Amino acid sequence: MRELQAVAALYQDENDRKSWEATLDGVPGLLSITVDHNLTVSLERLRRIRRTLRIVILSARLYPGEHPDLAARVRAVCPGSELLVISSDDASPPLKPLFVDDIRHLAIGGPQSGLTDRAYLPAVVSMLLDHRTWEIGSCLKEGTPVHSFQLDSSEDKEPLIGALESVLTGEGEEFEMLRQKGALLADELLENALYNAPRGRHGDRLFRKGEKRDLLPQERIVFSFGFDGETLALKLADNWGSLEPDVVLEYLARNQDDASGRDDDGGRGLFIIWRFLDQFHVNVRPGEQTVVGGHLQLWSKLDPAAPRGFHISNYKKEMQHEQTLV
Amino acid sequence: MNRPSSSPTIVPAQHDYFALEGTIDAQSERLLKELPAKVRYPLVRFDFAKAGRINSMGIALLLRCFKDIGCKAEIRLEGLTPMHTMLFKMTGVFLLATPVVKGTDAREGGA
Repeated sequence: MRELQAVAALYQDENDRKSWEATLDGVPGLLSITVDHNLTVSLERLRRIRRTLRIVILSARLYPGEHPDLAARVRAVCPGSELLVISSDDASPPLKPLFVDDIRHLAIGGPQSGLTDRAYLPAVVSMLLDHRTWEIGSCLKEGTPVHSFQLDSSEDKEPLIGALESVLTGEGEEFEMLRQKGALLADELLENALYNAPRGRHGDRLFRKGEKRDLLPQERIVFSFGFDGETLALKLADNWGSLEPDVVLEYLARNQDDASGRDDDGGRGLFIIWRFLDQFHVNVRPGEQTVVGGHLQLWSKLDPAAPRGFHISNYKKEMQHEQTLV
Repeated sequence: MNRPSSSPTIVPAQHDYFALEGTIDAQSERLLKELPAKVRYPLVRFDFAKAGRINSMGIALLLRCFKDIGCKAEIRLEGLTPMHTMLFKMTGVFLLATPVVKGTDAREGGA
């Protein structure tokens, strides 16, 4: 009988497979393959289902460490498949090989990561299967209001950061830290849309960081956020579509692997956004729209020094236009 | 909105002392560019107790400032919040300047 799997996962060995069993439990029709030092046989199993295969999940115990060429070999066998690397939070992979191999999806799981939530990875797989973009409400409790604001000028930045802080009401160190993280994330997202996104014909920046500016007649920047008492979600959408997915990866890898105190701008804003969010999402439709966002939890136990997961896509589904409040 | 800016203050002593206040971002460029020229002693203390949010542009400006000072003086950072510490750690600021743990700064003032 012919197999019809759309999702396959490659693990190092049986122990590796078992460590992910619970978190991948909700992925329907998942074909689990333990490599056990025999990659050729494992790739042959993938080849047999290549016609229906859409997503290949690679354990970081295999890639990039043990098999640095694994992404290329999987793509050679199943050229149309999306690759998702999964890693435990105590041994997250170096980003440079992922950048070189154009890996757009990394999920970091484990007791510190918040990915003990069994719904997370199945939701990511479903998002990839359906070519859906991340939506801000997807990580908030049902009924949580999402506040959206369309900017008119750079002068809106500080009031918007104030509006965000005002929904994060609560006492104690955790709330104070969430307010500070939220304010910094909003700052970086807004600065990115106001000063990095607008580009001329030759890719040159149209505005200098820090200068006061009004939005151009056709320009649209929408900042959205919601807080459900435990999770803060933020999203920034602009209609430039100038942020290229490989540039995002390059910025993350460069700042991750080289914390040598470079004093250039060099994508540090995106790097900070990635590091302060628990999950980081970027969706780019070149020349049309860039959406950057994600969520962080009030009780997040993530080590600030540890890398985070990311999902960088260029799906074409239209952005949902939340109600604009100001 | 009341938006404070960085305002360095020099305290007379045998070290230099700069207190940074408010948000540190692109608006702080002029002030942070001027600081290295004001350094007179081989020890410089930066006090962040009244500093607020520091964004990526602020980090870049601080790194430039510390690199300029670093060739002629040692830099110590005081009054850091956990958020500042987190940011400085992940962006390499601590490679150029040393954080001072509370209670250890009394002996730093020098002669």
